[in-house]
Order: sequence, then C-alpha cells, then structure tokens
Amino acid sequence: MIEQEHLIDLQHISKDYDGVTVLDDINLYIRKKEFVTLLGPSGCGKTTTLRIIAGFETPSSGKLLFEGKDILDIPPYKRRVNTVFQKYALFPHLNVFDNIAFGLKLKKMPKDEIKRRVQSMLELVNLTGYEKRHVDALSGGQQQRIAIARSLVNEPEVLLLDEPLGALDLKLRKEMQLELKSMQQRLGITFLYVTHDQEEALTMSDTIVVMRDGHILQIGDPKHIYDEPANAFVADFIGESNIFRGTMVRDELVAFAGREFPCVDFGFGENVPVDVVVRPEDITVVGEDVGQLVGTIRSVLFKGVHYEMIIDCGEYTFKVHSTTMQPQGSRVGLSIVPFNIHIMRPMDTPKREAADDAV
Amino acid sequence: MSKISRFFKRFYLGFILVFLYVPIIVLIVQSFNAGKSRAKWEGFSFHWYQELFKSVSIMNALQVTITVAVIAMIVSTILGTLAAIGIYSMKKRQQSIMMTLTNLPNTMPDIVTGISLMLLFIFTKVDRGYFTMLLAHITFDTPYVILSVMPKLKQMNKHTYEAALDLGATPGYALLHVLIPECRQGIVTGAMLAFTLSLDDFTISYFTTSPLVQNLSTLIYSATRRGIEPTLNALSALMFIALLVLLLIVNRRTKESD
Repeated sequence: MIEQEHLIDLQHISKDYDGVTVLDDINLYIRKKEFVTLLGPSGCGKTTTLRIIAGFETPSSGKLLFEGKDILDIPPYKRRVNTVFQKYALFPHLNVFDNIAFGLKLKKMPKDEIKRRVQSMLELVNLTGYEKRHVDALSGGQQQRIAIARSLVNEPEVLLLDEPLGALDLKLRKEMQLELKSMQQRLGITFLYVTHDQEEALTMSDTIVVMRDGHILQIGDPKHIYDEPANAFVADFIGESNIFRGTMVRDELVAFAGREFPCVDFGFGENVPVDVVVRPEDITVVGEDVGQLVGTIRSVLFKGVHYEMIIDCGEYTFKVHSTTMQPQGSRVGLSIVPFNIHIMRPMDTPKREAADDAV
Repeated sequence: MSKISRFFKRFYLGFILVFLYVPIIVLIVQSFNAGKSRAKWEGFSFHWYQELFKSVSIMNALQVTITVAVIAMIVSTILGTLAAIGIYSMKKRQQSIMMTLTNLPNTMPDIVTGISLMLLFIFTKVDRGYFTMLLAHITFDTPYVILSVMPKLKQMNKHTYEAALDLGATPGYALLHVLIPECRQGIVTGAMLAFTLSLDDFTISYFTTSPLVQNLSTLIYSATRRGIEPTLNALSALMFIALLVLLLIVNRRTKESD
C-alpha cells in the first residue's frame, strides 16, 4: 500500500498567530528516504511547517501523522526527528565533542560507544581532530558541519533543516549542497529541507513543495516544477520567466503580446483568461522578417554562460537568454515553439496526488 | 588665566579623588590610633580591632548582616534567574512590560521601598525582625539579578533551548545543562551584586527590622546618637575593604563578559 510508505503525513494543518493565518489547510506527505524541500519566499509558512513537525509549534487544527500515528501530543524531545537550525544553535559552553555527544549522553549510551560514534560523525563531516575545539573558534562552515553532525549522530528518522546554508558564502554553500545530498543518499535518512533559494531546491531535492502565504502552490520533482509550473507565481519564483496575461482562444491556440500563438495546451475552454509563461532561454532570436514578433533590443547584459537581452515588442517586454549576442538597438524577430509556451490558470492549489499523476 | 586653566585641567580629577578618598583614608588611619581622641595621634595599635571583636552587639550585627546577605543572595539569584528565563520566553510586548516592572524598583528611592515594605509588614501583621529584613533584601536584590542575567539570555542564539529539546533533553535537563550554563557569567555577576547591595543597605533594613535585630548599618546609625566609638572606625575600615574587594571582582567579571 502507498499509505505505508508515508513516513510523515500532514493532514489539514492550519496555524494562526493572534488571528493571522500562517498556514492554511496544508496537506503533504513525505516518503521514507526522500529529500523534500519546502521552497518559498519568507513568510510563506515553510519554517512554521518544519517547526510543527519538530514539535516546537502546535497547529491550530489538523493532524500530524508519523508512521501512521498522530504525534501532535508528543513533545519534541520524544520525537524521532532532529533539526539543524538556522545559524546552527550550537552550545557555546561545550566543546565540539560534547556538542555532538549531547544527544547520545541523554540516551545513556556507554562512553566508548559515544566516543566511537562521535569520531565517525566527525569523519563524515570532514572535521576529524576537532573534538577539543571550542565551537566559537570555528568558522561558519565548520559550525554548520558540527550542527549537522550533532543531529545526524542521533540517527533520526527525519532530519529537518531550516535554511542551514543561509549564513554561508556562495562557494561554500554550493559545496555543502552537494555534500548534504551525498550524505543523505549514503545514510538513507529522510531530509526535509527549508529554503528560499530556488537553485538550492532544484539541485538537491527529490520533491519540491512550493509555498506561498501559507498555501502549497505546487508539489513535484525539480524538473516537473521547472518545466510545468502550476501557476505564474511558481514560474516566476523558480527560475526566470516572461509572464503575460493572455486569452486561450481555443484548444492549442493562445493570444498574448498582441498576437496569437500555436501551443500544445488544451482543455481550458474557449476565450478563457490565462497566464502565459515563457522561459527566457526558450525564446529564439531570428531575423526580423521571419519572427512571430518583431522588437528592438533595449539592453544586453553578459551573464557568463549566456547573454541576457531585454527586447521591447511594442508595449510588451521580453527577457531573452541566448549564447549569441545582438547589438543594442537592433531590430530582431522572436519566435517561440508551441511546446515552450506554458499556459496556466491564474492560481490554484493542487494536492500532491494530482501533481504525482502529472509526472 | 591660561595658567590657572591648565592647572585645573591637570588637577581636576586629582581633586575629586582626594575629596572622595581622603575621608576614608583618615578613617582607616584613625582605626589604628591607640587613643580615643580623633584629633590626636597617640601611636599605632590594634586596640580598637580587639575591642571590636570583643563587642557582643557588633559581632551579633555582623552575623546578621552576613547571614542576611548570603541567604538573600542565594534566594534572589535563584528567583532572579528563573524570572529572567521566564521573561525571556514571553512575547515581546509582555516582555517589555515585565522589564519595566523589573526596572521600576531600582529607580525608586530606597526610602520609598523601605517605608512601603514596612507598611506592608504592619498591614499584614507580620512582626518585624530578622525574617522581614531578609524578605526585604530578597525583594530588592532580585531585580538586579534579573537585569544581569537577561543580557546573557538575549545574546544566546534563540534556538539554543529548542536545540536541546530537539536532541532529546527534557525541559528540566535543558534548563540545568544548557540555559543556566549559557548564562552562568550573568548569574554569578548578579549574585555578587546582590550580596554587595545587601551588605551595603541601610535604609531598607532600618524600616523593616526591629530595634532588637540589628545589622551593622542600623547598629552604626543608632551608635552615632551616643557618639561614635573608635571601634566603629575599625569596623568601617574592615567593611570598606571587604566591599572594595567584592566590587573589584564584580567589575572584572562584567568586563570579561562584555
């Protein structure tokens, strides 16, 4: 049965703070050994969701099932989950060894067993020999590794990570992303990761949950989320997008930016208002005479891998990524293949089942 | 003109220090004066120190002062630390209300605190004496402990307590093994401050005790009415040195914790 696979099940979870709704009817399940990322802008409720699972917050309504049993009444120190906090929250009065051994000592584990486990954890996070160091004397990256080791040493069923890489610089962050992912795969632990960084989410996750204003907007694997955003917000938040209001004229024909385009979507009905999303890399710059649209290049920026061109077509503006550059001010044609035009209804909140079916 | 201003520039601080400390130095010197006169030096002697330790009333008062200070320190440190942790975990608005209420007694003149406590004890028909003085000392010590523990809690990562729970610590274990060690410096500073303030207090003690139970400050006050015995010079000298040492330690600790 699929049900048995679910390690954590959030059912109709809502949370109010003094009358302000932070989470509104959240439904989500997490499978064993899955890397799930809650992604969204600050204030979307992703951290609150994590804290409810950890036991630091109680939802106003709803159920939280862990292996099928409701655990809302179980205090945080009895839940089989561990958290890696934002800014680490290490214990400054303890050294590295005692920080990592904190959870094991509480389990009354024999001393040599504790020592063995702490050693192997330090090995895992590449900090062998740091046992006696004071945690304040470590760099941000090292402190983060200790925080991860301190949680993982308890062999939790689920590791909850609350923007764990937020305080690190870009290069270190990228390294840690890969390390975390490989750790998760090696140890076979379920990770629930919270971030506002879409790239981080795309790099590491098996499943991404996009949230906004206490709602889940879309659930799916990274490729699905990127290629088939459920609505304009997701499209805009995950990667860069050109978003237009348009009208679905009939099946496989959509009108936006002042003309009609053939597309591959159907089933919206006729003359229905829709959001149209086109990724900047999906627009091809062609000759002025052969393009579907004609425009003037307003600006060109070199971005390393590609050029980013802003092109004005009458009152509409397109952002285009291309590896070849056209001079600023020149007239060009734009063309978009039907497959790359994404049509979406203005805002809806899908259940995960629906998203899974779509994969 | 500029000569005078230069002179003052150079010696201003010197003057202040002289005016502050000369009386105390005189007092200490006098405590070693063999004679009873305050005007004439009659040779160096420990006579008044011997008299001091022979005096039953002074020794009793010393005992009252020290036991009150120690008990008040212990109780107010426990109360203050727990209160600080409680206030810390309140919501912002409640927290600022509580902190204002905590600060208020410190800004109130001692005489107001003293009289109001006296009225309270009269109103509740509690006989004034050792116990009421102790209660009064705990009362005025506790806010100082809260004020020295609070900054330590605020400096802490706000998830530290949650991290302890997350790793399997019960709330009690987290309190004893994480929160309290984390703000130990603040707690020790608060305790020393409480001890010093208690040792130093006259006004509040005067209103909350009976004439039968006297601490050093109330004893000295009543003694001045009969004219000051040179034994009190010796006593004051000893108290000054004890408090000085304590204050130096407190100052050093606060400097370290900054």
